[in-house]
Amino acid sequence: MSAAALERQIRPIYDSLETGSPKTAVVSCNKLLKKHPKNSLIKALKALALVRLQKTEEAIVLCDEVLATKCTDDATLSAMQHVLRGLGRHIDMITMFDNAYKQQPTNEDLGSQTFFANVRTGNWKTAQQVATKLHKQFHNDRYLYWSVISTVLQANDSTTPPSMRTLLYRLAHRLITSSPSPSHLSPDRFHLHILILRELELYNEAHTLLDSEFGQQLCSTSLLCNEIRRDIWRLKGLWKEEGVRAEERIVKMNDRNWLEFLSVLDATFADVVSSHGSKSSDAAGTESSENIENIRELFVRIAEQDGHNDRSAPLALLELEKRARSYRLSRDHTAMVDLMENYFNLVGDKACCFEDLKPYLSLEGEDQARWTSFLESITLSSANLSDLRRSINVHALLRHTLSPTQITAEMESSRATQYLKHYLDGLKLGEGLPPTELQPVDDFAILAGQALVNVWKLADDETQLYNAASVLEFGLTKSKHSYQIRLMLVRIYTLLGAPSLALEHYRAVNVKQVQNDTLSHFVLSRASTFSLAATGDITYLSECIESSQIYNTNSQETSDFVVRAFNGEKYSQIPDFIDFEDRLDNSLARDAMKVEHVRMRITHEQLTTDLIDLELVELKFIFNRFHHDNRDFEILPNYQPRSLPSFHEQTLLFDKNPGLGWLSAFLKIYISVLQQASDLDDTVEDKLLVGDRPKQSIDPDVKLPWKERLSRRSQDELDELTPCEVSFFDYILALADWLEPYHNHIRPSPAAVLAEVTKHTGSKTLKIEELHPQNGLATNGHTKKDEEAPVVKEAPEIVSKFFDDMNAKFKDILISKRLPEALHVVTLTQEALIMLAIDSLRFKPASVVKVHKLGALVQNFKSIRAKAIEVLREMSTELLKIGESEGTAETRKTFVEACQLVTAFTEIDHDFVLNVAKRVTEARKKMLEGLGKGVAKLCTAYSNA
Amino acid sequence: MSILRPFRATDMFRFNNINLDLWTETYGIGFYLSYLSRWPDLCCMQEAPSGRLMGYVIGKAEGNSTEWHGHVTALTVAPEYRRLSLARKMINLLELVSDEIYKGFFVDLYVRCANNVAIGMYEGFGYSVYRRVREYYGNLGLGKGGRDEEDAFDMRKPLSRDPLRRSVRANGRDMIVSCNDVS
Repeated sequence: MSAAALERQIRPIYDSLETGSPKTAVVSCNKLLKKHPKNSLIKALKALALVRLQKTEEAIVLCDEVLATKCTDDATLSAMQHVLRGLGRHIDMITMFDNAYKQQPTNEDLGSQTFFANVRTGNWKTAQQVATKLHKQFHNDRYLYWSVISTVLQANDSTTPPSMRTLLYRLAHRLITSSPSPSHLSPDRFHLHILILRELELYNEAHTLLDSEFGQQLCSTSLLCNEIRRDIWRLKGLWKEEGVRAEERIVKMNDRNWLEFLSVLDATFADVVSSHGSKSSDAAGTESSENIENIRELFVRIAEQDGHNDRSAPLALLELEKRARSYRLSRDHTAMVDLMENYFNLVGDKACCFEDLKPYLSLEGEDQARWTSFLESITLSSANLSDLRRSINVHALLRHTLSPTQITAEMESSRATQYLKHYLDGLKLGEGLPPTELQPVDDFAILAGQALVNVWKLADDETQLYNAASVLEFGLTKSKHSYQIRLMLVRIYTLLGAPSLALEHYRAVNVKQVQNDTLSHFVLSRASTFSLAATGDITYLSECIESSQIYNTNSQETSDFVVRAFNGEKYSQIPDFIDFEDRLDNSLARDAMKVEHVRMRITHEQLTTDLIDLELVELKFIFNRFHHDNRDFEILPNYQPRSLPSFHEQTLLFDKNPGLGWLSAFLKIYISVLQQASDLDDTVEDKLLVGDRPKQSIDPDVKLPWKERLSRRSQDELDELTPCEVSFFDYILALADWLEPYHNHIRPSPAAVLAEVTKHTGSKTLKIEELHPQNGLATNGHTKKDEEAPVVKEAPEIVSKFFDDMNAKFKDILISKRLPEALHVVTLTQEALIMLAIDSLRFKPASVVKVHKLGALVQNFKSIRAKAIEVLREMSTELLKIGESEGTAETRKTFVEACQLVTAFTEIDHDFVLNVAKRVTEARKKMLEGLGKGVAKLCTAYSNA
Repeated sequence: MSILRPFRATDMFRFNNINLDLWTETYGIGFYLSYLSRWPDLCCMQEAPSGRLMGYVIGKAEGNSTEWHGHVTALTVAPEYRRLSLARKMINLLELVSDEIYKGFFVDLYVRCANNVAIGMYEGFGYSVYRRVREYYGNLGLGKGGRDEEDAFDMRKPLSRDPLRRSVRANGRDMIVSCNDVS
């Protein structure tokens, strides 16, 4: 058959793959392979179809066959690229292109593909070598720049030792200066050049380049170049020169970039800053005083000229005075408050006024009194939008500086009433707005909500949260799309133990794409507390899966854009893209969500070795990661007085923010137990894993043996755990410690495990003899079958008493009626039972117990399990009982009666609050009954186990 | 007044206060990265002195021969920072770069025909309607705003390379094209 005919037959395979029918593709491939059994392209396409069908094992076999042929044709390479990516085998991709390029060293495209394969894995050293080779061969300057930036990226890589950094930058410098064309031909090349000089502290050289005609031109149009120019000027100590330049831009070009104003301010104080503390400071002070006056005049002039059009100059005057004060160079002690008053008069009708003034509000004594009386003297009205905004600003500003004596529950309560009154008053200004618009008066509803939350904190009175919820729900009826109000409600409903309402509001915010990473913490932090997965309700489990999609997108797509940036020579973007990819890939929110997912999953599914092994491998990966915290907490509005914690801090569930320490503790908990229950040890895992291992963190702890890493506890971890979580952590460590010798005695040897697995999959890629026996000894996998079983010891007290302790805590909490805390105790107790079940799974078969004479041990944890089940049944009954009393006319009535602060206003009618009451009490009822039933179900399941 | 600086990939972790606004779309990460990997100089961010993000513009350069121009793909300001002339400053920068770096003939942008506030603002910046694009925002069915909701005005402003203002016309509102005819 001719090549053209074959090509015609292959085309439909591509079509099937493109249209998402990999099954058809496999069938077509099989047909063609009968005629062309050695055709690599067809094999590669079949492998790709198999990857899409998630038939990984078959795909691997084909993939390895194709790789062995060391193919060089475009079509096969391109198909294989997708296969290898799907299998996560990036290192093989490098080898594949490398082989092809070696065979066809004049093929430029293969050369750049090899380069990109290295780029995708962050293999900068080799990337640099490939780029250098490309440059030598094809004499295109772009390849030289590829090698320069690869060197820079290698220097910046976290795995590069600090001692190598400077060396690499020097190499980059040598390379870039060897370029036949000057770097100023493109802003990105130029930027890269200056970046290298900055790192090497060659400021004079950088300055000369920047000050050249081309340099100046680039800086005038490229924000990026100008950014680094400003940096170099400062590093070189050219504060004054930068100040003069900035002043010129402000005056002559009407530039109002705040950075220019900051440059002028920095120049003004440059002498004082540099001589601060030395003897010549007096002289510098006098000179600076004159400078300050000159600059003040300049800013006053600009302020007059700009009027209402721009607030830069008035704000710069405030900053000037603040800095002058801090160096004791201020001449007029009344100036600060004068300027603040002027600022308010000018900008008070803009929403940003409060935020702008915040840094200047730390006034004392007389100043504070003057400022307060100024604000209090302002006539408040809601006659028009400007007046309304001014009124909101006055309240926010006054609230910010409240002294501790002014913050009592009563005073806050009356403030809430006042804010609510202003809110209802101001609504008239938004009448007739389309439903898609926000009410201009919304901030008063937010203020009222925040004051009420404060009363809740001060008086420890849950009913205040009912009021807050009612006010904010009312606010939402007027501004459907206020994400601020919704996010506040998410927090409040979580605190009220009504998670379904929290989730509803969160979903209405319409969080998308990358926002899943920064915002999912609102509903997924400690989500297992609210999960009803045991009863089959997988709401939270699927929420985790959906929110995690973004991480797959990131690992599949972001490196493509790094490659594009190389192709387009946008070097300035490459480090940012890599940083972005890394922060998303190693996101704290991602892995905290993963841990929650596992915690919920074990209440929902049967405990199988598959589940245990898979989760173990994944959690161990996560444990080796260096995490980034991308969570956005700033998004919650905060109008609480500065002497108090922010609204975000006040409304954290259990008053603890689960961050890196929390994640580390829970990873230790799960890895400890799963590792004991699993037959996989590191060596077996290595053999069985498909794809590349992630880059290891440079933390020296990663190199320590697992046992040591898992048994350590740090203060950072304990600080982020609730007292109940600390007890749970103690319980797990004691449990693992106790059962360790018995697991080690029974667990089959790594070689046996591997033989078993190989038999099942029939894969030829795994070779048992590669497994050296000494590897097995290094970890907990070693067995001495001939020896006697370890002597059976009694369970440690921490384990045997755990369930009684939790029961006591539960009863205490019932008295104080804190619903989420009750849920917290119950879910942790339930988790402790499941963890016991996982850790004793190995001892379930009677034959095992008999052979190893571990009957006494089994008796021991049978009795603990019985205790656990007894306690949990009691808790379940209690939850169901409370659940029954929720959601009745009685509880609704109590709720509404507690909302007198809100119902006192005729605008918010009784039925509205009653409806809120109904929704809250029903959500609580659902939560309590769901958890109660779930616990009972698990008790039944595990008592028979 | 604010800090005007380049839009960076990592700003995606911090732009919630801008993007949770109903009228601002949050696209897939590929959208932002594709613009940044080609036209980083046409993407910029406004930041408040406090460090909070206020608004951004994302643009590109496209077109052949005399149609070569700068295009405003997305321009947005967080609700709390409106009425501070931020849009004008970002558009100014985009025009400057389109003119001096890309040597474009004009800058253009699309706006809902019903969005009178925005149209008025752009007219104030020197833009004028070049044509009306049918169903640019999808066929919504004839609702409250009728055709004005789904149609877009393509608004243009000539740059220094077009001193004779050939890229604009006076009767643009009457020039109606289908959305399939525009890029």
